[in-house]
Amino acid sequence: MERRAAHARTPVGRSMEPTERDRDRVLPGARAGSVLLGLSMLAACEGRQSVLAPAGADARVLGDLFMVMLVGAVVLWLSVNGLFFYVTRINPAALSKRFANGLIVGGGLLLPSVVLAGLLGYGLSIMPDQRAPGDGLTLRVRGEQWWWRVEYWPEGADAPIVSANEIRLPVGQRADILLDSARVIHSFWIPALGGKMDMFPGRETRLSLHPEKPGRYRGQCAEFCGTSHALMAFEAVAMPPEAFDAWLRQQEAPAAAPATAQGQRGARIFAREGCGACHTVRGTKARGLVGPDLTHVGSRLSLGAGTLGTTLADYETWIAHTGTVKPEVEMPAYDHLDPADRADLAHYLKALE
Amino acid sequence: MKRVLQTLAVLAILGALAGGAVVAFGLYNVSARAGHLPGVSWVLHATYRNAVRLRAPSKAQVPDLDDSALIELGARHYDTACRPCHAAPGQEQTATIAAMVPAPPHIETAVKDWQPHHLHWIVANGVKMSGMPAWPAPRDDDVWPVVAFLAAVRQGMDGARYAALTRWPEAERPRAYCLGCHGQGGSDHVPRLDIQNAAYLKTALRSYLDGTRASGIMAQAVSELSDEALDDLAGWFAARTPAGAGAGDVPPDLAARGRALANAAPGDPDVPACRACHGPGATEASELFPSLSGLPAPYLRAQMELWRSGAHGGGPRAALMRKAAQDLDDDAIAALAAFYASLSPAKRD
Repeated sequence: MERRAAHARTPVGRSMEPTERDRDRVLPGARAGSVLLGLSMLAACEGRQSVLAPAGADARVLGDLFMVMLVGAVVLWLSVNGLFFYVTRINPAALSKRFANGLIVGGGLLLPSVVLAGLLGYGLSIMPDQRAPGDGLTLRVRGEQWWWRVEYWPEGADAPIVSANEIRLPVGQRADILLDSARVIHSFWIPALGGKMDMFPGRETRLSLHPEKPGRYRGQCAEFCGTSHALMAFEAVAMPPEAFDAWLRQQEAPAAAPATAQGQRGARIFAREGCGACHTVRGTKARGLVGPDLTHVGSRLSLGAGTLGTTLADYETWIAHTGTVKPEVEMPAYDHLDPADRADLAHYLKALE
Repeated sequence: MKRVLQTLAVLAILGALAGGAVVAFGLYNVSARAGHLPGVSWVLHATYRNAVRLRAPSKAQVPDLDDSALIELGARHYDTACRPCHAAPGQEQTATIAAMVPAPPHIETAVKDWQPHHLHWIVANGVKMSGMPAWPAPRDDDVWPVVAFLAAVRQGMDGARYAALTRWPEAERPRAYCLGCHGQGGSDHVPRLDIQNAAYLKTALRSYLDGTRASGIMAQAVSELSDEALDDLAGWFAARTPAGAGAGDVPPDLAARGRALANAAPGDPDVPACRACHGPGATEASELFPSLSGLPAPYLRAQMELWRSGAHGGGPRAALMRKAAQDLDDDAIAALAAFYASLSPAKRD
């Protein structure tokens, strides 16, 4: 992701300020830019956010559908253009009326009817799989601006295990995912694991996913939802079932008390600055519901819903510059904290594993 | 045709030169003693009257002006900010003020020709080139107390009533001035200060002084005092121990809903848990967050509305409250105000 961002920046940065000396190089620069852009787009075919690299049963079915459609489209394209070529270049003589009528009825009515009916049947036959009932685990995901509120409901649970901005699923099982939204329409999409499903305020939609290959993938909001829509992403992790169960048990536990002096200072700053008004850290007095649950924020693989990494510097950047990192985000910037306090706070949060 | 144009051009140039000479050589006599040329006063005054009528807010925006707490607050502000020019009911203007051009009208005359919504516009905006200043804050809802007082003057307030309204309590200056409004538990529109600590009060007073927190009334009050005096006052109020009980006239179900919201209990993701910063029981929170326990509901509602609209402002942490309040709806504001008003006045820790 970082590499792609760098590629995208290069041509823009160059074209913004063409100096006298740069003028001769504008064309080569543009060419290099488009080559880089093309390469980065090719890279998407094999990444952790690609429909062409399926890692789940649903994505595999969709990938097959895509390949069938692609091959069919290529065959049709070649046939139609071959016919054009044949009648205009190879044999431009007039056709007999009978042959022409046959061509219209056969090629214009029969062939499309058969092909489309076949594709329709195939498409319809694989649709139920996308909504197949799950094997027990249910997730509830609510789209917020611009992050994901996530609840895990293991089979028979009467209270959820709350998390945010990350989806973890056991491999080899089908999980139900119930979706809705707080204010505007979002769309939930992990290309490597399955199709996308819209999230509506006041209406629940459902999706089920069946990951097959353990790995770390990436999801993204796929419906424009406001200023920072592009920064509303998440990490999706498919784990072996035993590892998933262990992870879920760990997520269920309240936060561990900070072990280091710096962490303890950070916890005091967290309380002092009123962070608990919006965030919950289970096991402490912080029980706000406006923003993501931070009980185990340190165990997550990204910050700011797939926007930043998880180094201490990333934590500090996020705390001090929320609105710069993610325009119009609800969380205020804590740029009034002095740097030592920010470092302590970052330390405390990162240790919430 | 060409000749006409040439003549006009020459006249225009001569006119511009003449005007320039008046400015450049000081030919116009600005003496207030000399007064205006005949007719000029009438033109200026008619322009003023018509401009006010055109721009005043609608009558529907006028709040309840019979509220005695509103009238007293307006009277006390008037007494320090406006009385020097317009005098008080039952008093004469000073000779110096009466010699101004234009002469500021005596308060009893000034209010006669105007309805309250006009008076609001005049007090909020001032009048250019007349000596009447604009309201010294970028908000104008806090002009209404002054309008309530002016409306009471219109209805015939006498000197004795004015003196009773604006009397300072027995205390050392400048504290007596503060206690006039903030003493005895404040009023519906003025907060009591004995529930706050010194750090918060200092920050609040400084932000009134530098204009980051908007209030025309407090801007006037703090501008009369030195930084040291402000810090001393903050310390004095912080050293008080609040007494008394919470408001008894609060609907219990509204207060209960407010309590739930303040504790994030009902799971409304639009309302941050107030308790985390403002208490009760937020012993670990920064001392720069004020206590709200026992503040009057009308004052709390007005402040939350200011926060929501972005007009409140304050110290370096004001951005936090701005974000916290931006999604509050009227019901949540009413419930939270009722809850905090129902609590016994208390410091946060």
